[in-house]
Amino acid sequence: MFGGIKLFFIGIIISAVIGAGAYVMKLQRDNTILKENAIKLESAVAEQKNLIENQKKDFEEILTANKKMNELVNNLKKDLDDLDKRFNKGERDIGKLAIERTGAIERVINKGSENAKRCIEIASGSPLTEEEKNATKKSEINPECPSLANPAYIAY
Amino acid sequence: MLTNCSSVKQLSIFKQEVPRQKLDLQKPTPLQLEQIKWIIITSENANEVFKKMEEQGLDPVLFGLTDNDYQLIAKNFAQIRNQLKITNDLLDKYKEYYEPKEKNND
Repeated sequence: MFGGIKLFFIGIIISAVIGAGAYVMKLQRDNTILKENAIKLESAVAEQKNLIENQKKDFEEILTANKKMNELVNNLKKDLDDLDKRFNKGERDIGKLAIERTGAIERVINKGSENAKRCIEIASGSPLTEEEKNATKKSEINPECPSLANPAYIAY
Repeated sequence: MLTNCSSVKQLSIFKQEVPRQKLDLQKPTPLQLEQIKWIIITSENANEVFKKMEEQGLDPVLFGLTDNDYQLIAKNFAQIRNQLKITNDLLDKYKEYYEPKEKNND
């Protein structure tokens, strides 16, 4: 009778020990997985930070590009306004001038046409010559499109 | 008991980044335009101009514009030039943005 009870308790104790051991082993496995997860999360956070940094750089690039395009549009508009002013400055009438000084106006028109031709070439991607790049005086610039042809020129 | 049996799920992060192929089109060759010569003709010099043209072996014919139309054609060309420049620069900006020469390693 007592032997049976003793065996029963011994069985319970052994089961409890095995159970406790299995539980501890499970906890260890979970712990390992949790550590791995923590490392992965840290890595993911670092990647997200990197992504945000790149996005910031992209936004800056977009802003810079927009600013440059706006500057270009404004400069080209100014060139166009200047052309209009040259034709109609004060009481200037290019038709009357051409009658009075035909030869001189013909030379001016042909020089202007040559300059305008060069402006279109530059606008289509033709590289600037050294002379064009270094022009800073009114006498050196291409008056048809100084914003395109003469980046060093500052209007005075 | 139930919570003890449930195990911690392993976290999986999937990443698959396939960069788009570069379009890499060549930019068009810059224009090289021909120089044209303007001749101003008035009622006074018309005969002289035609005579000179004949002497130079040119057909004595001119395609004319009034002074007002000359101004308009000059402005039209300036507008075309501006549009060409803007379009060209836009293309450059897009190329710089989407196809930078030095690709970031990230």
